Amino acid sequence: MRWLGIVVVVVLNPSWVWADERLAFFEKKIRPVLVEQCYSCHSAEAQAKKKLRGGLRLDTREGLLMGGDSGPAVVPGKPDESLLLRSLRHDGDVKMPPKGKLSDAILADFATWIAKGAVDPRSGSVSRQQGLSLEQGRAFWAYQPLRPAPGSIDDQLSRKWRANGLQPTPQADRPTLIRRLSFDLLGLPPSPEEIDAFVGDDRPDAYERLVDRLLASPHFGERWGRHWLDLARYADSLTLRGFVLKQAWRYRDYVIDCFNADVPYDRFVREQIAGDLLPADSAEARRRQLIATTFLTLGNTNLEEQDKSQLRMDVVDEQLDTIGRAILAQTIGCARCHDHKFDPIPTRDYYALAGILRNTRTLTHANVSMWLELPLPAEPAVEQRLREHEAAIATLQRQITALKSRQKSTPQARAITELPGIVVDDTQARKVGTWIDSKHTAPFVGAGYVHDGNTDKGEKTITFQPKIETTGKYEVLLSYSPGTNRAARVPVTIFSADGEKTIHLDMRKPPSKQGLFVSLGEFTFEKSGQGFVLIANEGTTGHVIADAVVFLPSGTTLPTKKIDELAELEAKLKRLQASGPRREMVMSVQEEKQIEDARIHIRGNVHKQGELVPRGVLQVALRGEAPRMPAQQSGRRELADWLASPANPLTARVFANRVWYWLLGEGLVRTVDNFGTTGEKPDHPELLDTLAAKFIEDGWSIKALVRRIVLSHTYRRASGRQPRDPENRLWSHTNRRRLDAESIRDTILTVSGQLRLDRGGPTYPATLASDYHYQHHDMRRSVYAPVFRNALPELFEVFDFADPSVSTGRRNHSTVAPQALFLMNHPLVLQQAEQAARRLLARDDLDDGARLDWLYRQALGRLPTPGERSMVQAYLDQAKERTAGWAQVVQVVFASLDFRYLH
Amino acid sequence: MESLGLLSRRAALQAAACGFGYLALSGLTARASSPGPHLAARAKRVIFLFMQGGVSQVDSFDYKPRLERDDGKRLAFDDARVLANTGMRGSSHRVMKPLWKFRQHGQCGRWASDLFPKLNEHVDDLCFIHSLHTEGVAHGPATLFLHCGSTNFVRPSIGSWILYGLGSANENLPGFVSIAPSSGNGGPRNFGNAFLPAKYQGTALGKAGGPVSDAVFRNLTHPRLSPHAQRRQLDLLQAINEEQLRGKPGDTELDAVIRSYELGWKMQQNAPDVLDLSRETEATRRLYGIGAKETDRFGTQCLMARRLCEAGVRFVQVTYGDNTANPAWDQHSTLAKHAVHAQAVDQPISGLLTDLKARGLLDDTLVWWGSEFGRTPYAEKNGTGRDHNPGGFTVWLAGGGVRPGVAHGKTDEFGFAAVENKVHMHDLHATILHQLGLDHEKLTYRYSGRDFRLTDVHGHVVREILS
Repeated sequence: MRWLGIVVVVVLNPSWVWADERLAFFEKKIRPVLVEQCYSCHSAEAQAKKKLRGGLRLDTREGLLMGGDSGPAVVPGKPDESLLLRSLRHDGDVKMPPKGKLSDAILADFATWIAKGAVDPRSGSVSRQQGLSLEQGRAFWAYQPLRPAPGSIDDQLSRKWRANGLQPTPQADRPTLIRRLSFDLLGLPPSPEEIDAFVGDDRPDAYERLVDRLLASPHFGERWGRHWLDLARYADSLTLRGFVLKQAWRYRDYVIDCFNADVPYDRFVREQIAGDLLPADSAEARRRQLIATTFLTLGNTNLEEQDKSQLRMDVVDEQLDTIGRAILAQTIGCARCHDHKFDPIPTRDYYALAGILRNTRTLTHANVSMWLELPLPAEPAVEQRLREHEAAIATLQRQITALKSRQKSTPQARAITELPGIVVDDTQARKVGTWIDSKHTAPFVGAGYVHDGNTDKGEKTITFQPKIETTGKYEVLLSYSPGTNRAARVPVTIFSADGEKTIHLDMRKPPSKQGLFVSLGEFTFEKSGQGFVLIANEGTTGHVIADAVVFLPSGTTLPTKKIDELAELEAKLKRLQASGPRREMVMSVQEEKQIEDARIHIRGNVHKQGELVPRGVLQVALRGEAPRMPAQQSGRRELADWLASPANPLTARVFANRVWYWLLGEGLVRTVDNFGTTGEKPDHPELLDTLAAKFIEDGWSIKALVRRIVLSHTYRRASGRQPRDPENRLWSHTNRRRLDAESIRDTILTVSGQLRLDRGGPTYPATLASDYHYQHHDMRRSVYAPVFRNALPELFEVFDFADPSVSTGRRNHSTVAPQALFLMNHPLVLQQAEQAARRLLARDDLDDGARLDWLYRQALGRLPTPGERSMVQAYLDQAKERTAGWAQVVQVVFASLDFRYLH
Repeated sequence: MESLGLLSRRAALQAAACGFGYLALSGLTARASSPGPHLAARAKRVIFLFMQGGVSQVDSFDYKPRLERDDGKRLAFDDARVLANTGMRGSSHRVMKPLWKFRQHGQCGRWASDLFPKLNEHVDDLCFIHSLHTEGVAHGPATLFLHCGSTNFVRPSIGSWILYGLGSANENLPGFVSIAPSSGNGGPRNFGNAFLPAKYQGTALGKAGGPVSDAVFRNLTHPRLSPHAQRRQLDLLQAINEEQLRGKPGDTELDAVIRSYELGWKMQQNAPDVLDLSRETEATRRLYGIGAKETDRFGTQCLMARRLCEAGVRFVQVTYGDNTANPAWDQHSTLAKHAVHAQAVDQPISGLLTDLKARGLLDDTLVWWGSEFGRTPYAEKNGTGRDHNPGGFTVWLAGGGVRPGVAHGKTDEFGFAAVENKVHMHDLHATILHQLGLDHEKLTYRYSGRDFRLTDVHGHVVREILS
């Protein structure tokens, strides 16, 4: 070892000698430039001012070597590999300084400095990391294991009221309670009969019975499924070109069915992420699981993006963003370009997750890429019929392909000898001006055709003169090969014994006979006469084509050709496709053929790939062993298992918090979609953990969780205000909540008697090609109104429906004049108010007072106050026309506070 | 009539000018005050004349004699479509000369073709940017990028950002109006608020290809009741609301709902007048080309834009386009059709500029004319049209503190790629915000745990074109 030391000393020694020189070089030539040109954006000071660009610091040696988001800035000894120098040379994407290139002399200095080892005396460490480290992150509340506390919801909260000296409100009265519960669980108002039954039920468990009845209603899934559909950015169309997602409704119905059947939440999550990869014990189960994966495909993707590798990553990003927000309440997308600025999510984690989804094919790429529609499995008997039918179609398709390729290899020329009558080809025609030979676009007669080159307009003609042997009537057929660059009005003149006739042909359109000929009509030609057909290019725009003219003796017909054979086969195929059993399709995903890990995309740029990252999950939320990623599968199944695991600290917490929010109007964590460090912390962490733990304990039963919360006294309290707790953080009362868009519409239709309660299935015409200007007329529940991204029902838009392009856990709450104007003037409101008025007036058994009672009870769940009664009566007394007067009163009720709010 | 204290309510409402009938509320979305302005503003409002589909710069304002010289020659170009699809450079294409003759115009001697003869009379008032470049080769991505600064992600549109930054100047009207927007290529997203609060959403007036009579504010009239009768009904509603409010004292949200009905009523009284063009003189209507078959529609829309601006709207977009996948100016074949579109907009835009100037409105109104991208100097295979070109094209600005009579930036000698003083679409956005007194780096909105900007992490103000 000793001699080795000596050798090292010997080698290094000269550099000691040079070091002073090189230091001086740095101080003289390099440091001043860095300070002057670079520090304003790349120094500790810039970092402190939050103006650091590209994550790069140039004020320490470590900063130079470590580099920024694009990698090391300097590779000592290798000027050409040093990003710093390339940027200074303006050689590549990054051009520094942005104001303009530095002088060649300075560039040469930098090259020399780097070549000689980039000696830099500046010490000081650089912290690249801006958010929490993984260690710090694991200590953050959201990533900690659940810590449930003993005691019910009420026990846990009442301790806090007492400690804060708050007096809770009493229980809400029964009419208020049944209205609140009906809207919360079903999204529909209770009928007057249901109100009476509940108010009159003096059994001690009357409330529990009501809760259980509502939980068992099929309308429960319609209400609660919609909550999930907000999170799943569910829609029936894409913004782009208004493309209708014809199979999306299956997913909507799947979600509704899952909530009705109380499918455990962990299974529900698993199916949506990896349903196609999970085992299934029946065709039915397999169908459901495939439909569940539509979740991954609903992004409002711009299929027209021409850079397909970019598009592929955009799809992955959108999926990650949705999964992150909906299931984990994490803002994972922030880490696409750089380490998360606040949360413990390094870029590596992003690409570990992205690698999984990148192995999953969501689109088929083309100029306009397309989502995948895959066949749904059917029951065995149906399957058999489907297979036979599909085989018949496949056979026909093969025949057609074969025929087409045969026709392609032999250009579709019609030999002159094949044609009856007198054929005059372009080769035999008399030309004035330059006519250019071509065979570019088939079909044609003979060896090709000629065209005018779209030049010298008015100077070219071509004359087709037949040798007529027998005087008589002839049908004149003219052939040309059509195309978009052809002239639209080509003058063709027929000189015959009948005189002269000019016809204008549109050569952009395919000829009507066998795709080759147009008939110019029947004319008389005489044996010794001067009959001919003349094509001119005068007054034309675009290419004029001249191919052949056929003079067919009257009564003769053109023989059919193999083109027709093709047409026949195609017609047959069409008939078969239209007639046979139809296989049901689903929007789903497929595993990519090549399974691989992803590389980090430097600053999110798909064309600047960095380090390879093994597939994995969010490290900070990983408790226990990391899932092992299979070599032959995307890893989605492992991702799904991790998401749905009881050990995942986020999944159960996030969902329990959402359920609390859906029932009480605010979450225990108020930022329901953000459990990161920029979100709010839970007001009652132990209560949240207790609910989450019980949720898991109850087998992830959503209904059990809902039941637990609505049975609490906390849920049942009267609404009110507590000046000492204006945000109601301690839940000493319930919050007054507004009806959402769906409930407003469904209640208006309930009062008018127009609401249809049938469930499921597609709700727009099957032939609909685009959602543009779609008119919504369906009278079914709002959850079934197609969610067309370019044509939402106006009521939805006005009343804060979730933006169907992004996962939404919390809708906007706006109070704006357009809402007032909608209720004052929109035809839907006016028509339904009138319907309701007719319905009321048809009740001969009721007087006006009883009619008003019924209206109030149906719409507001209570009787009118004496004040309301007298005001309405006075108004009706002045009405000129009874139906109109009542309709106006109904409309007033629709617009009133007690209609729009739950108390 | 019993007023039920409504008069005092109305007075209170007049004091609370904050957006399109918006009443500051609700912890999550409300933002009581605007985040801007950050700087001294040179413009108070923007009119964006959107030429949907892609006007050819080399046939209009970017004069390239070389195209005449090399007409018909096959040369290598970095076709943006091919580049995006395959990464391949230098595709062979046939150069195509402009179909319209170029001449010099105005005091500044600006070269412009005969495509827009009327507009050419205004060149001394216009500021051309010849070196614009953008993202997205297809209409969908490029149109979204033009409006929202992103080709794919759901982001707020520029009008929404501006309204968010400045607030509205008239509580009876929406602050951001899009006249005859197209349903295609992003549709409502191009005037959407995305994650910004709903009050910043653009309000569409009519739709592309629809009749001019469609361009009205929605739900502003009751189909049957007279204003008097409707006020009577509204008084009943408000009386019942007061009754329902009793016993819930201090609930500001419920109070705001009551006030929203009064605000709606006020809008109903005032807003329709703004769009009532019968209040204009015949001379003004003629100036915009209203009444002439070719120019009636776009002229009407431009005049509406001026009236909306006068009434305090911050951002008015007028779209010349349609709903197809190949919108209006998209001449992949038969470039000669540009003439039809030019004729439809030339007189109206010229009239708008003349009118704005005469009324002194051009000083603080920034007029912006342009497409989502330009067109290639070479022909499509059919020989009669041009393909999309996001790499270099021309837009012009007028008024609002930009230098008149100048041309900024250059494309190469074919008019294909921006090469000198390049201006990215992000830069144009930053510059427009700057003129309105908004710093594009400070105009941020926190959503989903991070601050978003119209210009993302890009954009530089093009100071050279500011007066």
